[in-house]
Amino acid sequence: MSNRNATRSELVESDTSTYEVIAAATAAVGVLTSTLSFLTLAEIVPFEGGLGGIAMPTVFGAILSLLGVVTIGIGVVSAVGVVETTPDRDAGLVTAGAFGLLWAVVAGLVVSQSLGFGVVVWLPATLAVGVAVLFGAVFPKEDLGSTLPGGALALFAGAVFLTGTVGTGWSWSPPDLQASFTAPVVVPVVGIVGSLVTAWGAAKAHGAFGRRGRQRAAYMAIWLLAALVLTVLLYLLAFVTMKGAGRAFAGIGFGPGLSFNWPFLTNGVSLMEQSPGIWPAVVGTVWLVVGAVMMAVPLGIGAAVFLTEYAEQGRFTQVVEVATNGLWSTPSIVFGLFGYAFLVPRFGNTKSLFAGMLVLSFMLLPLVLITSRESLKSVPDEYRDASAALGVSRWETVRSVVLPAAMPGVVTGVILGVGRIAGETAPLLLVTAGEIFPAKQNAPAVLRSFQVDVVMGPPFLDVSNPALFEASSALPYQLYAIITAGLSSSNIENSLEFAWATAFVLLLVVLSFYAIGIATRTYFRRKISHE
Amino acid sequence: MSEHQTETETEPDRERAAEATEPDAAPSTATATTESASRPEPSTERTTVAGETDETTRPEWVQYDFDGESKLSVHDLDVYYGDEHALKGVSMEIPEESVTALIGPSGCGKSTYLRCLNRMNDRIKAARIDGSVELDGQNVYDDNANLVELRKRVGMVFQSPNPFPKSIRDNISYGPRKHGDINTGLLSRLVGRSDKEAEEKLVERSLRDAALWDEVSGRLDDNALGLSGGQQQRLCIARCLATDPEVILMDEPASALDPIATSKIEDLITDLAEEYTVVVVTHNMQQAARISDQTAVFLTGGELVEYDDTEKIFENPESQRVEDYISGKFG
Amino acid sequence: MSQVTEDDQLTRLQEALDGAATGGIAVSVVAGVCLVGAFASFLLSMPFTVPFLLGFVGVTAYGWFAHQAETARTLMFVATVSTVTVLGLITFYVFLEAAPAFANMGVVELLTRLEQPLWNTETHVYSLVPLMWGTFVTTVLATLVAAPFGVAGALFISEIAPRTVREIIKPAVEVLAGIPSIVYGFIGFTVLNPYMTEKFLLAGQGSLFLAGIVIGFMALPTTVSVAEDAIASVPESMKSGSLALGSTDWQTMKSVTLPTALSGVSAGILLGVGRAIGETMAATVILGTVVELPDPLYDVFGNTITLTSAIAAQYGSAFGLHMNTLFAAGVVLFVTVMGLSIAAQYVEARMQRKLGGDV
Repeated sequence: MSNRNATRSELVESDTSTYEVIAAATAAVGVLTSTLSFLTLAEIVPFEGGLGGIAMPTVFGAILSLLGVVTIGIGVVSAVGVVETTPDRDAGLVTAGAFGLLWAVVAGLVVSQSLGFGVVVWLPATLAVGVAVLFGAVFPKEDLGSTLPGGALALFAGAVFLTGTVGTGWSWSPPDLQASFTAPVVVPVVGIVGSLVTAWGAAKAHGAFGRRGRQRAAYMAIWLLAALVLTVLLYLLAFVTMKGAGRAFAGIGFGPGLSFNWPFLTNGVSLMEQSPGIWPAVVGTVWLVVGAVMMAVPLGIGAAVFLTEYAEQGRFTQVVEVATNGLWSTPSIVFGLFGYAFLVPRFGNTKSLFAGMLVLSFMLLPLVLITSRESLKSVPDEYRDASAALGVSRWETVRSVVLPAAMPGVVTGVILGVGRIAGETAPLLLVTAGEIFPAKQNAPAVLRSFQVDVVMGPPFLDVSNPALFEASSALPYQLYAIITAGLSSSNIENSLEFAWATAFVLLLVVLSFYAIGIATRTYFRRKISHE
Repeated sequence: MSEHQTETETEPDRERAAEATEPDAAPSTATATTESASRPEPSTERTTVAGETDETTRPEWVQYDFDGESKLSVHDLDVYYGDEHALKGVSMEIPEESVTALIGPSGCGKSTYLRCLNRMNDRIKAARIDGSVELDGQNVYDDNANLVELRKRVGMVFQSPNPFPKSIRDNISYGPRKHGDINTGLLSRLVGRSDKEAEEKLVERSLRDAALWDEVSGRLDDNALGLSGGQQQRLCIARCLATDPEVILMDEPASALDPIATSKIEDLITDLAEEYTVVVVTHNMQQAARISDQTAVFLTGGELVEYDDTEKIFENPESQRVEDYISGKFG
Repeated sequence: MSQVTEDDQLTRLQEALDGAATGGIAVSVVAGVCLVGAFASFLLSMPFTVPFLLGFVGVTAYGWFAHQAETARTLMFVATVSTVTVLGLITFYVFLEAAPAFANMGVVELLTRLEQPLWNTETHVYSLVPLMWGTFVTTVLATLVAAPFGVAGALFISEIAPRTVREIIKPAVEVLAGIPSIVYGFIGFTVLNPYMTEKFLLAGQGSLFLAGIVIGFMALPTTVSVAEDAIASVPESMKSGSLALGSTDWQTMKSVTLPTALSGVSAGILLGVGRAIGETMAATVILGTVVELPDPLYDVFGNTITLTSAIAAQYGSAFGLHMNTLFAAGVVLFVTVMGLSIAAQYVEARMQRKLGGDV
């Protein structure tokens, strides 16, 4: 019953060889080159000045040529058997297809743009080159198939840059696109492609090709992608902080006596104001969030408890579930339209804080419901059984056993939801937003304006709060308002700086909610798993 | 399974309850599920055992002389999970083409030991391993060891069946495909070097060897997760055989199965020993006595206490503690 | 759970004998009547909403002290019904307001009209084609960013990153999901638009290309989080099984982990796409918001408007049929995203079944 058919390789391998070192170094140079390309694209490394006095295209041309030559060398050395590697029978259809596509693009551009042939020539030429590269990559063993096409591409690009065909002042305007492609964009982008395909081939060689080589190459690619994503997102945060923090924190300190001053937060905008601020927007956001939470949280938790503890699983719960998920994914602007059509006419045909609260609470509702349901479901049935076995009624069980156990999850859901609605702009445009630069006294004074009147005749009791039914500002709206008003608006000095500071404060508020929410969740999860 | 009556649960109650309510857990596993084979967390290895007598383990108890070649030889193997010393200085020679049973109470480190033999413990980040394990004289813990090659030669069958959510055929041919021994991809079909026939042969032979062919031959394209628990486990054994291993490690392969499925697996293990070196962890002592050629007894604290012919261990052990354990005084 | 039911029935039986339940039911009925009254009054814009609401509060307050269990149950039922009601109201009112626009142009004409004029607020000739095209192009571009990066990021976090790195990055990505879209829009407007003008020598402000890329990065953290959850939910025993057969980590990811998690990963991508389609502020601020088709159609450096940005940019000056047309844009959005949401739920349910072995 033996299956002695499998290939065997060494269980314990020899130490690192020179070949591996060269392959690793090539991959590293490739990665560094792509980093340099990104920095050039982001204008952190200036393109025009060149690097150390050498023009940028020349720099990239030299590196790419070198990478191309070394990568081809690595493949050939492995293919002729100078070093012992374990390449697969072929490089795979995906790899070959990708190389074929890349080369087809190159061929198409060269034949149609540089040589100036019409479609009758360039289309067949493009196809021919693409198919030729595809077959060229498929038929030889993996070591040649995954290094030659990439290396040749880098070499070709290097030659184009070195010969000055594409120089610093080069640009190309495709006839049917509005955009032109200039050297400061094209050179780094080609640099990224060229350095990555060679680095990929070299990473494979470092793992001696075969499945270990594939793993090396794939890991390298994923590390790079993940690093790029994180860098972009963190750079964005850092950028906003850098631009906005100075203005946002300016003048902060203890004023006359014990009073605390934070001009940017506590001032409004008016002609008399020395250092204008965003107080009305801050107050507006606080009230919007408080109002939305007061309405959505009890509803969401109540519905979640009903669905999990009382309702029988069936058509009704299914309908509610579909409705909740639908609500959750409904675009925010549609909520705004709804508020505009339904709420605004009923609140005296003006935009109002209260309408904003309602609309935001509708947006918050599904999130609270979904997260509450999830944490209620994760409370084990044993708790309920144990409580019921002690003769406790269902409601008492829910109140004193199930809800407390589910509370951490619910709280987390609410905090994350609040983070989401605090940054929401679109619906507020339609139902709440008022002045672009409100003065301090125009901040909504909800607490001070409650009025209760007893009137004769229906409806007998008249409760009103004018502040709730007036338009208001909010942090995200404030930012939008500055953009639409034009950044050179004359209302306040240096409104661009003002806008960055607003963006910074908004980011701070929203991300704090998220950070607190996620920290709470991590804390409770740890607590449960380490019981 | 009366030997587990005194075992103290360290898991939180709700987890035990959750496991007990799993629909496919056979009744016989109710006390066996504390030691999760797929993910042995340090906390599950801690067990207090009442009724053990104090004695010092003598080196000659673990000295086992046998004729023929030694397939695996383990020297001074120590495993730490964080601060916990899970396996203490285990040395052991495992003869080829035989069945070696590892027995002992829950938390004695026998599963940990088994997972050291194909370095599956590397998956647990907190684990630290000292000592050496040699497969045919080559140290698998060498810095340059090729893990993939090691696991190809040392196959493993887990406690609960873990087929992939693919067809039965794809489950069997998974290993050889990944090793590049079988190639039926689009490209190889296009250029006419597909190994379709070789694959068919391999699938049939592996399934026959695992005594599953008659039950599934008509539905090789069905999802493997649709099979019964016992069939799934035999599929996992077939999957393991398909990669042509030299050693097969089995971690309580029958603990999640009903008695009929269990006896099928036991027969299979005995057959496999003609060709392969089988190391099987069990805490069912009758099972160990039935199927194994030699038995190693691990006791509390991750210590190998005695290792000898199965008959010798069960009829006349040297160690008082082993005798107590065998006769059910603790465990 | 059956125990609970029995127990509950016993309790209820006893309550009924005491005559207490009748009180509870009465409270529920009165509270329900009050609430329906308040809702009806609000719908019809009558001044009785507040008194009815106060009545509801009063009755439930009494009920809370006298018949807590019954009252709580009623309140929770009300909460559940109100969730469905909200969705119903949204659907009804958005469709209601959009109806005149569809009547004006005809459904097919409004959704497919290609000849000029595409958008004339004087003669009330409208076509949603440029809006839909803008949304389509930005969504495709955003997906091209979010899908590969999202899957790579998810694989990185759950399978490849060392543990310490993972413990920092995972929450960090979740926090980044919270960056408000207007901040992305603002950066696009102040920094990236000028950059594009300089580097690509664009004539005007904004391009579909930039809007798509920015929205893609915006949807990225959500996509990563959802896809990561799906990948992490693949049982460890399955991965161990693959590794123990001697496959590499990468082979295990490619052939076992990803296919098993495929449904969850695609649900994550669908969610990201849904976010991209519904994204308003970034598109509004970055795009030049002109209602015309780019020429040629595939000119991603051209300018047009999206369904969302049309609403946000024009609601202020719109009234009558123009506003109705904006509502029609809302209807198209709503229906599309709802379809995606249902598709995502279906896909996710399939994953559950697959892991259960029913496929």
